[in-house]
Amino acid sequence: MIGKAPHWIAPLVWVISILWIIPLVGIVVTSIRPEADTVLGWWRLDHVELTLNAWISVWSKYPLAEGFWVTLQLASIATVGSMILTPAAAYAFQFLRFPGRRILLIIIINAFVLPPQVVIIPLFTLWRQMGLIDNIASVLIPYVGLSFAWSIFLVKNFLEDFPRELIEAARIDGCGPVRIFFRVVLPNSLSPIFAVGILQFLFCWNSLLIPLLFLRTEVPLPVIFAQISGMYDANWDLRAVAAIVTTIVPLVVFLVFQRQFAGGSLVTSGSKE
Amino acid sequence: MSEAPAASFSTAPPLSGGDQRKLAAARWRWFADMPAAYLLLAPVLVLFAFSVVYPLIQTIWLSFWDIKGLYPPKFAGIGNFITLFHDATFQRAIVTTLLWTVCTTVLSVTAGWIIALLCSMAPRQTLIPRVLIFAAFGVSEAVTGYIWLGIFRPDAGGLLNSLLQGVGLGALAHPWLGDSATAIWCLIIAYSWAQTGLPLILIFAATQAVPRNVLEAAYVDGATPWDIMRRVIAPLSMQGVRVAVFINLLGSLRAFDTIYVLTGGGPVRSTETIGFFMFRESFTQFKLGYGAAATLVLLVAVLIISIPAIIQRTAAAR
Repeated sequence: MIGKAPHWIAPLVWVISILWIIPLVGIVVTSIRPEADTVLGWWRLDHVELTLNAWISVWSKYPLAEGFWVTLQLASIATVGSMILTPAAAYAFQFLRFPGRRILLIIIINAFVLPPQVVIIPLFTLWRQMGLIDNIASVLIPYVGLSFAWSIFLVKNFLEDFPRELIEAARIDGCGPVRIFFRVVLPNSLSPIFAVGILQFLFCWNSLLIPLLFLRTEVPLPVIFAQISGMYDANWDLRAVAAIVTTIVPLVVFLVFQRQFAGGSLVTSGSKE
Repeated sequence: MSEAPAASFSTAPPLSGGDQRKLAAARWRWFADMPAAYLLLAPVLVLFAFSVVYPLIQTIWLSFWDIKGLYPPKFAGIGNFITLFHDATFQRAIVTTLLWTVCTTVLSVTAGWIIALLCSMAPRQTLIPRVLIFAAFGVSEAVTGYIWLGIFRPDAGGLLNSLLQGVGLGALAHPWLGDSATAIWCLIIAYSWAQTGLPLILIFAATQAVPRNVLEAAYVDGATPWDIMRRVIAPLSMQGVRVAVFINLLGSLRAFDTIYVLTGGGPVRSTETIGFFMFRESFTQFKLGYGAAATLVLLVAVLIISIPAIIQRTAAAR
């Protein structure tokens, strides 16, 4: 900003942000107060006592540790899958010529508007016929398959500015298309691949609808959390711990990589031509 | 793009002799690339077909069938759609969806826009509150539902009712989530609260991209910070606003998690959007054909708001 900004701006933004800070602080405070106090309200100061009871007993009460492990596995496999397969496809669409190239590209990059609701009914019946319900493949396939709709667009968008001279040079030196991908393009496009990984990790970790329908015994954290969040359930302290456990990993990833995140969402939503 | 070999093929003008030779060479390379291209694409095409193409076609197909639990399916033609539009619950879901989509988008984009413009005047001093608001967007949607459950709950531990009592408005205390007139507004507020971070960051980024010399020129011409805000930065932030509106519309049409945790669609199915209605009909009543028909209505709504984005992407797909 040129010139002097009015000095009331920063305090005003701080005051507005209280609306966002208080609910977040409330969860943390609820998790470290005795249960009796959380029933009366986490903000009350008439009886101040902090305890880690909820943090200790929650693990035997809800299957959070198993859930954490399941979530980590699902999100990691799906993320690695998208990060490996996306650049290969984006490279083929950008630099190779083959019949059906444009129509396939148009179909895939426009599928990003589809809500997951559109695919879950047929997938449910299909997995049931194939006996895949409760198999991790039943969620990994849609996680990775749905990601291509935005991830290929993101990486291809980056490749549009990739120096063609490098590819031509490699071609003249006798490199085949697959070798060019692995030796020239892949090592030089790590930043969009990394952005794909972050977006995909957050999406998979937080996903509720797909695992809620397709997994039964080993379910990820959002499913466990949704099941223990019935409206009239008590245990506000335990559920606050569960809330923190459910969201701490994606929240930290999100805050650490917020630049990549914002850049990635800008590109995938089509604002960068 | 200046050089787009594959696309320029079909639209090439009539060719001279030399061009013919070039075209032949290019066509040879076209087929030479083919095995490599399909090798690199194969896993992507298989997974995409499995998780997008087949389910999409099958959803359309299923919507013409009457499926109840494990009874044999009966072909129903457009029967599902006729029932759907006479179903009072679905009519309500349409109204809820409209209210929900419009209100959450307007609320979160307006709030994000205002905060972004304020922040753009003092970027460094507002870094921490900005990140804190953005953090709410990084919280899992299911957890957002729980957070707001703690605010709207009717007993002593409910923050909103306690606040009202604290400022002497105890008469307004209300079982917010148990009343079908207020439950949808609770959902709208909770969801908009979580979503505000995205328009904030997108629009803030747009304001920071305003070229420095434009600001300098305005300043030299004697513009006050308020003038610069109103006449330079605000208009130039419109691109960010458009993107944010589109992302929020798409997001609220597919929203499921917050509704599932905060109200479960209730009371008496008053907070079910179409995206939630299809889940309920398909997976708790097991009327898969009926659920598929509702999903197609959702799909049409999504496609209508996506028309500009689809046109833009298709035209730019080279």
